[in-house]
This record gives sequence, structure tokens and C-alpha cells, in this order.
Amino acid sequence: MKSARLPGLRSLRLALGAVRERTGATGAELYVKVGNTRRIEIDPWMATVTADPDDLQTQVSVLDERGWALRAGGASRALFLADSGPLPEPNGWRRLNRHSLRPGILRLPAARSGTAQSPATDTGEHSPDEEEAAGLAFLHDLLRRLGERIPEARLVRGRLDSGASAAVLASTTGVTARSGRRLATVELDFAASRDGRHGHCRLYRAASNLHLLRADSIASEIAERLRLATAAAPPFLPAGEVAVSPALGCNLLALLAPLLRGRDGWRRLQQLGAGHPLGPPQLQIVDDGGLDAGWMSAAFDDEGVPTRAVALVRDGEPGEPLLSWEDDGWSGFSAAGCRRRSGWRALPELCHSHLYIAGAPEPAESIRSGIVHGCYLLDRAHDGRCHATFEPSTNGGAGQLEEGRFEVDAIGLVIRRGTVLGEAPRVRLTGSLRQLLQGIRAIGDDLRFLPAPGAVGAPTLLLTGLQVEAVG
Amino acid sequence: MRSTANRAGPRPLLTSDVAAPADALSRLAAHGDQQFEVFFERLETVELLPQGAPNRLRVRKEQGLGVRRIENGRSRLAAADTISGPAFAACCDRVAGTARSIGTAPPRIRTGSWPALRLAELQRAESRLARAVNRRRVGFPMEITARRHRRQVQVIRSPIAAPPQFEEYFSLQVTTPWSVWGGLLPSLADEDLDPVALCLVDRLRSRGLPLHRRAPGVIVLGPNAAAVLLHEVVAHALEADTLGLSGVPDHVVGLKLGGPELDVVDDPRSAPLACKRSSDDEGTAVISRWLLRRGRVRQPLADLAWAERCPSMIPGAARRASRHRLPGPRTTHLELLPGTIPERDLFAEAVGGLYIGEFDRGNLDPLDGRCVLRAPCGRRIGASGPVDHTGPIEIRSRAVDLLAAVTAVADRPLAGGAGWCAKDGALMPVWARCPSIRLEGLQVAD
Repeated sequence: MKSARLPGLRSLRLALGAVRERTGATGAELYVKVGNTRRIEIDPWMATVTADPDDLQTQVSVLDERGWALRAGGASRALFLADSGPLPEPNGWRRLNRHSLRPGILRLPAARSGTAQSPATDTGEHSPDEEEAAGLAFLHDLLRRLGERIPEARLVRGRLDSGASAAVLASTTGVTARSGRRLATVELDFAASRDGRHGHCRLYRAASNLHLLRADSIASEIAERLRLATAAAPPFLPAGEVAVSPALGCNLLALLAPLLRGRDGWRRLQQLGAGHPLGPPQLQIVDDGGLDAGWMSAAFDDEGVPTRAVALVRDGEPGEPLLSWEDDGWSGFSAAGCRRRSGWRALPELCHSHLYIAGAPEPAESIRSGIVHGCYLLDRAHDGRCHATFEPSTNGGAGQLEEGRFEVDAIGLVIRRGTVLGEAPRVRLTGSLRQLLQGIRAIGDDLRFLPAPGAVGAPTLLLTGLQVEAVG
Repeated sequence: MRSTANRAGPRPLLTSDVAAPADALSRLAAHGDQQFEVFFERLETVELLPQGAPNRLRVRKEQGLGVRRIENGRSRLAAADTISGPAFAACCDRVAGTARSIGTAPPRIRTGSWPALRLAELQRAESRLARAVNRRRVGFPMEITARRHRRQVQVIRSPIAAPPQFEEYFSLQVTTPWSVWGGLLPSLADEDLDPVALCLVDRLRSRGLPLHRRAPGVIVLGPNAAAVLLHEVVAHALEADTLGLSGVPDHVVGLKLGGPELDVVDDPRSAPLACKRSSDDEGTAVISRWLLRRGRVRQPLADLAWAERCPSMIPGAARRASRHRLPGPRTTHLELLPGTIPERDLFAEAVGGLYIGEFDRGNLDPLDGRCVLRAPCGRRIGASGPVDHTGPIEIRSRAVDLLAAVTAVADRPLAGGAGWCAKDGALMPVWARCPSIRLEGLQVAD
């Protein structure tokens, strides 16, 4: 079966005309999306990594998705309607009438110069057999390589998704846009027991293509994390420097995301600095919807507004806020295309696409080897704490943290003058959000992106002034 | 006041003869170990946001089908977002691995229509809830998002077509200046909104109070809180896929998890009126399943795949978040059978302890059996019952310790504790009916 094709812009315009005529709406927008996904899941049978591939209980799904969403209305009445399947023909909107619009507001972006059609991207229909065989081969290869490193590891759950989607958008304000995306993600959950100590490890990785996921490097990452998670706790933890890997750096940056979007985030970010620089001069935090080779890269967001790189923190100082078109011109700042939909059923919402701390020229290896007495934290402990509080909570809030503080449970190593003194199966990194940014002493050159909502990227960071304590 | 909801269901999901797809599926099996099924699904969610919100009315509809081949415990699923003969034929080809697997002409498949959009009930939810709050002599600003969910399912597993299933229920999200309450309701009638008002007033009275840090000797859980606890430590713990993480699932049968006062049943047939099920999402007839009988494990929750692997397990508990997801064993409607102790006596022997009316969050680690339950507030138990309010409470304990701590079950069960179960990221509505319970000897986390 071939994947569904997107309708042409002419079909969308005819449908918009029919909707306006039937409902009396002053404005309307149609968004149509098609996609296909191949999913391979390995059942939770605690398979040993050394098991025969034929013994793995693999479940394969081939999914075709297709749907559309209509927004119609004006200053006082509005409607959001989403449905699966193909876009109705112009005479297929008979169930809509003037009573379909209910009290509410509809605002749509206006067409701008530069809003042109992006080239259509096909949904990447590959031979299902080839894609499936490649996925299975990847999982088997990964298990084999992990078995070579840590034979006692057991696969708790594995899921590999590989797919493509394409969308087209048109509105009565003249905005039109097309976009296409390919993405492969792998979610793996492993457990191991060593010397009576149990440990887990969960990994979520993404690439723009299944063939770009590297079984060998992922197996290395899992083995490293399982070894740390099943290690004995160190007798003491040094309270000096903390170097964090790109994986943990991404988690820390994701915690800060509410500070880095919208008008409220901008106010909080400025309060965080309290008149002082937010971080060292080499600190640059950027959100870029059109990042070259990024997984989410698109010339336009899901409302058809052009994307661009927004320097949220520039040279350690607040740069500019991430604003949607509705806030264009607020405090003299320009908007960027930053409203995305999580699917055809969802309304567009302000969110990051590629949020990252730009890498600096310092080699990451020199940061790690330069730790005098401290910790190198590799990743968050998947069943541990990871949250931040931005305002006073009246009823507990997230984890009952004091305002403006964060805490993250992590796994890592204790290091003295470049030598590993011991392993830390679980430590809690805590501190103020201000200190988290202002305490950055070095930024590495190994920027890496991980999937969060969107993509979050960070290089190795050297942090000071934070508290590290053993947990459990 | 009775609900004004129109309980007349929609027209059947399939208006064409179900024999046609059943015949087509029967032609697919190459040998006796292969089973084929088709899952037809139609969903509608009507959402009314607070006044002033952009796009205040949001209507989401979708329908589609998924064809699945099951062979030696392995599944192969193909799903599409339309219901039609050609889409069915294409999915059959994908799971069978051959072109024209069901012949040259796809079967004729037609769907019925939904009834007209009804908004009056959603629009009245705000004023009804405000009245229920005002009856408790308080008032405060609330922003209410009300949703009506409808789901129609028809499963055909060659050569049998299960009866069509229809569910209708509501969800509410109430935002106040100090908290967000969310939950599921079988209707938006006064009798279902009244317990919501009680939760909101409790949260009002406990706002700003610090985390409760003192470990009480005794805790009494109200029906809502007891339902969440049992969902985490009985239902999730006894799902075959959870049990499969740490061993062979049917080895737990007969294991003692709690005292003799614990009789826990999962019975989708006795769920609230518009959410009753006679068959599961694989088309298997549901049963009244004893999860715990006098504290011992009797029958874990299983679907077809797990029943095939573990022959002593009975299928009939399969649920799917959507046609795009494979089914898995899940609870639908959990019941704790009542004990013999009047609720008044339950409190009389718990003076100095803590009463928890609701948990807003629960989580079970399937690998080590640790459970975390979070209550937004609680009340100290005095001589006359629950008195002063306290701040949030977090209970961290092993699942077996939580069940072992149950020392008494009250005699009056109430429907409550309904909510979204989000295991593995698949949201599913779950229902419960429980009496209050008393726990002794538990630690409240710092």
C-alpha cells in the first residue's frame, strides 16, 4: 500500500472557501498531515542480551496515519475541528453551519514577505521489508555488542520507531506552507545485577534516519551506564567541581526550558540575572527551528511562520525571547516561527525545536581530565528526581522544591586529578538555577542533541557551586 | 438531579455486514497457529475550554482500523486512519506479506454516523460545579475545561465478531489559583460533581501548608485514595507484562500479598453505566476476575498473547490505547469488596492518624516493586473523624508492604478514583469502586 498523498494547495483553498461560506467565519486555516511509521517492539520478557535473535519476541507494526485540522472563526466565535482520513471534498462540509462556531476567538498569522512554499518532501516510502529488516538487524547488532561488553545485561523493553511525515497548511490570510520530516527513535530499557546490586538504565536516542543510529556507540553507552548503576557507592563525594556529560547537560537545559520561551520566560530569565550576567561570556543558548541537519528542521513552523535562530542567551547575557507571531514587537523583539503541533489532532503551541548550548572551542576531554577533585556525571538516573521550580508553590508543587532551585539524580564517577577514584551509582545534584548558569566554568566542543519534546543539545560542561550528595 | 445526557448510543460503528470482513480474515490463515483479527475504532472528544480561551470549542473525531496477525506469541499489526474495504484489504496484505491476500475485491465496509453534537451538558458543568462548591459555604475562582469522550469499538477475530462496544464518559480539569484538579467522571450530573467539589474545598483549606513530614502510625484512605493505591499495587503489579519483567507470570498465583480482608476483583461489566464492557479490545468476553482472594493472588490480568505463553492465564483483559498500539493486559474496573467494619469505627481506631481523601499521582516501579503515592493534602483524625487539614503527603513504600499494612476495610464501597492510567505512555480510562481502608505501620517519606 502506498502512503497517502497530501492534497494540493488548490484543494485546501477550495475547502477553506466552502467552510467560510457555510459558517460565515471571517478566517479559517486547514492543516493536513500524513505519515507512516514502522515500529519494532521487543516484549518485556527480560531477554538476555546473549539470547538467540530468533528467541526474541518481536512485535512489528506498520502504521499509516492521516488527518486534518480546521480552525475557523473570528473575533467572537470560533471552532477547532480535527478528523482522521482524507480532507473532505468541497461539498463534504455540509454538517458545518453558522451554529457550528461557538463563543471564542480565532487569531491567525498574516502572510509575510518570505512566506513561500517550502519544497514538498515525500513521506519517505521505503520498501517495508527493507526498513523492517534494517530495524531488526540494528536491534540484534546492538544486543550482540552489548553482550560482548556486559553479558549479565537483560533487555527489559525495546522499541524502535522509524517513520516519515509530511504536512501542508493553508489559511484565508494567505499563509501557505509545506513541510516534511523523517525521524528514527530508539527507546531501550535494560537491567543488570552485579555482586547483588541491581541497576537499570534507560536510553532514548534519535536520528533523522534509521541508518544513522549506531548500534556500537549505543551499546557502549548502555554498558557504561549499567556498570555505574550497579557499582558500590563511594565512601565520600568531593564537593568541588562537577563536569556533566552532554547527556546530562541536555537534561539540565531541558529543565530551564520554561525560562527560555515566551514573555513570562523572558521576565523570569531577567529576574534570574538580577542585574548580573547570567553566565560566563562564552555561554550561548540558542533555539533554531531551521537548524541545518536538525531532526526538527523546517523553514516554517506549524502555523506557516518562518523559523530562524533565536539567541536566547548571548555572551552570557539575556539575548532575545522566543516569541510567537502573536507577540511580535513585544518590548521591541521580533517573533520567530516557534509554534508546533504534536500531531494533526493538536493545536499549535509555543515550544522549542532545537534548543541548545552552543559548543565552545575547549576540548571536552581536557575538561574531564582537568577536574582536580570532583565528579564527572554521565547521565540522569532514570528513576530518580529531575525537576526545577520557578515560582512559589502553594500546594506542594513539583517535588516541594524551594523557588528557583533544581535537583537531578545522576550517575557518574569520582575523579581526582584526572584519575577515576570510584563510581557513583546515584548522586543528587542540587542548587539554584542562578548558580547553575553562573557556575559554568568551561564549555566543551562536543555538542550533542538528544530527543526531549523537540531536540535539546549540550556539550560537556564544567560546573561549580552546586551541591552533590549520595542518595540511597 | 439526574444527568440530562442522552444515553442512547450512536448508530453501530459498522452498518455493513460483519460477516464480510470475517470471511476475508478466515482466508488469511496459512496454518492453524495463525490468528487474524481486525479492530475497528471510532473516537470523539468534545472539549470546552474556559471562557476567553482561544478556540474554546475543540472537536476531535477519528476512526480507523488495525489488522493483526498473531503467531506463536508474536504480533504483526497494520493500521490505517480510515475505515473502508480498500484500507482493510491493504492492511491484510501488509500483515500477510502478500498482495491480494483476501482476493481481488475488498469487502464492503460501511460506518454509521454519530449523533449530533451536544454541548449543553458541557456548558452547564461550570455552573453546576460552582453550585456544589457554594453548598459548602465557600467560593473561589475556577477555570474549568470539560471534555466528553466517546469510543466505539468492533473486533472481529476470524471467524467470530464480538459484540460492538460503546463507551461514553467525561473528564474535567479544574484550575484554581492554588492547584489543578483533574479526573474522570461517568457523567456531569450533580451526584458525580459533588465529590469533585469536596476535593476542591479540601485543597482550598490546605493551600500553602507545608509538606507533611511526620510519619503517622495509622492512615485511613478514603474510597478515591484506596482506589489509586489498589490500581498501583494490585492491578499494575498483577498485569502479565509487568510480572513478565521479573519472572514467569503465572508463578505468582497463590502468592500471599495481603491480609484476608483483601478481596480485589477486576470486572469491566460492572463499570459505570456508559463504560461497561462485555468484551475486551481483542474481542474476548470479559470476566469478573479475582485478582486477590482473601489476600492471595488468584488470576493475573492477561491478554491473548500472554495467555498463549502462560496456559493457566485467562485472556479477556486486553486494552488498546488506539488502533496504532498493540493490546496489552490492563485493568478496566477495579473493585475492593467491602469489609464488615462501619466507617465510623474505622476512624475511631485511628485517632491521631491521618486521613487521605485522594492521591493525585501514583507510580509503581515494575522492576523493584517500589511505589510512590502523592496526596495534595490530608487531614488529621480526631475523636470525631477527620479534622485539621495538612499539606501534601508523599508515601514511598514497597507494594507488598503497602498491602501488608492494610488492617481494615470499611463496609460502604463508593465509586471513585477514576482516572487516566498512563502506563507506557498509553492513556486509558480506568474506573474503581472501593470502601475506605485503614493502614498501619507505614512510613511517610521526607
